[in-house]
Amino acid sequence: MMADGSGKEGAGAEPTRAQVDAEQEFDRAIVEGKFDSVDMRKVLDAEGGVMDMDKMWITMGPQHPFSHGLWTLIIQADGEIVTDAIPIVGYLHRGWEKETENRTYPKIIPMADRLCYAASMTYTHLYCMTVEKALDLEIPEKAKYIRIVADEINRLQSHLMWLAAVGTDMGNFTIFLWASREREFWMDMNIRLCGARMTTNYPRIGGVRNDTPDIFDRDIIRCTEHFEKMIWEIIGLIDNSSIYQSRMVGTGIITREQCANLGITGPAARGTGVDFDARRDDPYDNYDKVGFEVPVLTAGDSYARYVVRMEEMLQSCIIIKDAMQKIQALGKNSPYRLKAPSRVPAGRHFGRIEDCRGEAMMYLVSDGTDKPYRLKVRSPIFINVSASKPLVQGCRIADIPVIMAMIDMCLGETDR
Amino acid sequence: MGYYTSIQDWIAFPDPLANPYYPFGDAYNLPYDISLKLWNIVGGAIAWLIDLLFPGNAVSEWLVCDMTANFFALVIFMLIVFMVVFIAVLVVLWEERKVLGRAMDRRGTMVGMMGFLQCVADGFKTFMKDNIYSKRVDGMTYWWTLSLIIGTSVLIACMVPLSDRWFVVDYECGLLIVMGLFALAPFFILVSGWSQNNKYSLIGGLRAAEMMISYEIPMLIIIATVALQAGTLNINGIVEAQYGTLPYFIPQAVGFVTFFICAIAESERAPFDLAEAESELVEGWQTEYAGMKWGLIMLADYLRGFCACGMIVILFLGGWNLPGVHLTEWESWLPVPELTFLLKGFLVFFIMVIIRCATPRVRTDTILNLGWKVFLPLAILNLVIVVTYKAGGIF
Amino acid sequence: MARKSKESKGQPAERGLWSPYWREFGKLDHKCWKDLWIMKPIWVTLKVLWRTTAHRPVTVLYPYEALWEPDNYRGRPGLDFNKCLGCGMCVNMCPCQAIVLVDCPDDGGNTVRRPQINIGRCSFCAYCAEYCPVDAMTVTPDVELAEYTRSDLIWGPRRLAYDKTTEGMKVKLETTLISDFKNGNGERRVEPCRVDHPKLEGKKCISCRKCSKVCPVAAIDMVEHGTNAKGRPILWPEVDDDTCVGCAQCVEACPKDALHIEEVL
Repeated sequence: MMADGSGKEGAGAEPTRAQVDAEQEFDRAIVEGKFDSVDMRKVLDAEGGVMDMDKMWITMGPQHPFSHGLWTLIIQADGEIVTDAIPIVGYLHRGWEKETENRTYPKIIPMADRLCYAASMTYTHLYCMTVEKALDLEIPEKAKYIRIVADEINRLQSHLMWLAAVGTDMGNFTIFLWASREREFWMDMNIRLCGARMTTNYPRIGGVRNDTPDIFDRDIIRCTEHFEKMIWEIIGLIDNSSIYQSRMVGTGIITREQCANLGITGPAARGTGVDFDARRDDPYDNYDKVGFEVPVLTAGDSYARYVVRMEEMLQSCIIIKDAMQKIQALGKNSPYRLKAPSRVPAGRHFGRIEDCRGEAMMYLVSDGTDKPYRLKVRSPIFINVSASKPLVQGCRIADIPVIMAMIDMCLGETDR
Repeated sequence: MGYYTSIQDWIAFPDPLANPYYPFGDAYNLPYDISLKLWNIVGGAIAWLIDLLFPGNAVSEWLVCDMTANFFALVIFMLIVFMVVFIAVLVVLWEERKVLGRAMDRRGTMVGMMGFLQCVADGFKTFMKDNIYSKRVDGMTYWWTLSLIIGTSVLIACMVPLSDRWFVVDYECGLLIVMGLFALAPFFILVSGWSQNNKYSLIGGLRAAEMMISYEIPMLIIIATVALQAGTLNINGIVEAQYGTLPYFIPQAVGFVTFFICAIAESERAPFDLAEAESELVEGWQTEYAGMKWGLIMLADYLRGFCACGMIVILFLGGWNLPGVHLTEWESWLPVPELTFLLKGFLVFFIMVIIRCATPRVRTDTILNLGWKVFLPLAILNLVIVVTYKAGGIF
Repeated sequence: MARKSKESKGQPAERGLWSPYWREFGKLDHKCWKDLWIMKPIWVTLKVLWRTTAHRPVTVLYPYEALWEPDNYRGRPGLDFNKCLGCGMCVNMCPCQAIVLVDCPDDGGNTVRRPQINIGRCSFCAYCAEYCPVDAMTVTPDVELAEYTRSDLIWGPRRLAYDKTTEGMKVKLETTLISDFKNGNGERRVEPCRVDHPKLEGKKCISCRKCSKVCPVAAIDMVEHGTNAKGRPILWPEVDDDTCVGCAQCVEACPKDALHIEEVL
């Protein structure tokens, strides 16, 4: 019904004006209810011959409480059971990649912040890393550690926003506010570090914007310890609740093969048994020098993805504490920012990073000027959302928000 | 006409039971008494004024005669009963918003009188909204079901007695009537979902019906159990029976918990608000009701929540009596038993709010499983326990 | 992309750092009846309810109370009018093109060029404060910027003044040169605008003096280098490296592209 372009194959002849008018007249008559019941029965019989009348197509989005951002999921429901789903994205397309071609390299950094509003620094980090690769620049140790800390703060921030969304998607506002409360502390850490809450504009080509202020060194450890204590409130509300468990366990199951075929990355894949994390397996910056674990579960349902993300948050705390020790060991005088040349030599370079939602990549084609020739972004969510059909098939309508929350949609990077 | 000499002759504060048209039989009714005396003040003053101007007229006497006094007293009686319920519901609303706010680590409502006036302000806000409805709704059912949902909710909320002297009717089978009217709303919600020409509303309406068949049966079994233990279906009698022995939540602990959860489902509160699941169905069956229609639906929701709390208080918590204090024989006009009842109701509602705060919405299959596989056996277990009590002669 | 081995460089990272959460719930075998189904959540909620009622909620009553923010908080840009050179570095760096230089009278009545910011376009990235060579542009904690009309959002140079500027609001741009870093001299910090200076390609110069006219700090002297065939003096610009702020206005003004900024790396 959705994809059927019927009426187009009729002998190639354009319909006459009169035919078009008659058709429109007929449609209007149906809409205005001018047919009596006998006529209506005929129309319905004629349509019922070709349509699946048992099933109902429901358009969820783009303005729908479950879609966090502007995207549409058209589902086919057989009663409460979902039989088919079509995701539609692109409502937020801003021409980001084209816009970058008219900016000098440093001016793209604030734009890269706007790719993902929940974790802005990871994309900025990725962009700077890609350009540094093009410049063949080895940045100072301290900058690498500071970037790790900033990345993990943003990962926590993003995961907490996801947790908040999970709460509202299941009809509980408490989780939303408790998770937002914790997120606010990490936002404060962002302010301490660079002065802004969300669009941080912090990493630079060749290092980071500024050294860690003293107030940040003091508060980040406090914040980490506070978070490790307060997260147990949220755990007590979700993991210890049989209703939450019944909503998440066994729904939205995909297999490892589907993960591989659809190119799913990130926590969604790690909850399905794909043991890959770019931080550990292809370490960038200094991720190979800090200690952390990559949680992997093989269950493949919503709850496994949830547990993976929760553990990732706590692992982020461990990374932050470790990296902060290393930063303090390097001392205040060690370099944190190199003076990068404004022109990038011609070439093609590729960077990858473990974003909070999956594996983000950038492909830079530079032509020797101070502006990129082409900058391509591979967004993890744009790929992950293609799994929505196998994810929601067979589940109930009530499960759709939960399952799609475990993908953690972020439209800023999806549509670019 | 000579015996009306001063205003005190006109305003005599008559005894309601002496009125030959008194509608409540032998039972004393406090709101009727108040309204009769109110009318006596208002009507007597008017009659006195008219009598001053036109001495010895018939209108003055008509205004204070038994029949007229009874008629106007009944009008004021209705207003008083509704206003008390309405204010109680506003308090319930305020309690929910404030407790939810604090439990969620925020402040809740902040406008006037510790946020109480926020509810009033929201009510006025919904009045100002545009009364939008789709052109292609089924008008008849769309409007009628709305009126019926609100109407039955107001009706049952007013029919919950606040004490043995604050009631509207005192039938022998009063409990059955209240519960019967209580269970009507899901039918209207189903029809309303059909009428709205909206897929979300349709699913919401179907869910309401789906849910009703799961919780209604254990709930009715427990009501029957309570009636069996009390030996009567009269609400007054049930409360009396609980004073005589124990509040029933002690002997019938299983039934109490089950009934509590079923009552949450009955009033369609979280975690059982499947019919208006706002995360997947936009507003469920309320999607197409805009403006004041929606405001009235919310009012009806809270009226039903208040009513559910009232039923729990009556059936299990000893109604308007405190343990050891027999407030039924309260002789003063001070509304102590009524306030006791309301406070108990607010306490029960507090627990409902905490449950709402701590749980997400359940799924349709979960509530069916719960209803048929957990609550129904528990209700029957409760029945068996009570039958054992009765057979053993304990109660 | 080839996978690097985990312990390829530096000291090996520590492993086996599972959190208590993972040890408790990581096996996905948590039994809910142990928590009495929903009694644990209710208990947690009651604890929070008690905490927020006995003490206070975490929320801040915003218009009546304000959060404390550190000095480097990035609100609207602030400008020290008399410190500003009018070099246009902020105009060049602004990614939103929110800044333009406008002519305005200074305290002595002379016409000078100062930045004017359209706050409606500003993205609060603080590039202007970062690249300002004299720290005249600062960040301020002022975020209450709503106006009734869009034209009110255009902040002139005088309006941009912020009277409570502290040292922490000045964003320092300190970088290490790549050559220094490679030589192990990483502790030396330079300001890029102080080391990058315009360089002349003498053959192209037509002695038009435009560069010396636009230079905001008067760092360019026109020095005579003999005479040309007609007997007129050949004037080449000579840049005073101590005064120059590397703003590249001379590069833009040069009609023959004879000047370019030489980057010191």
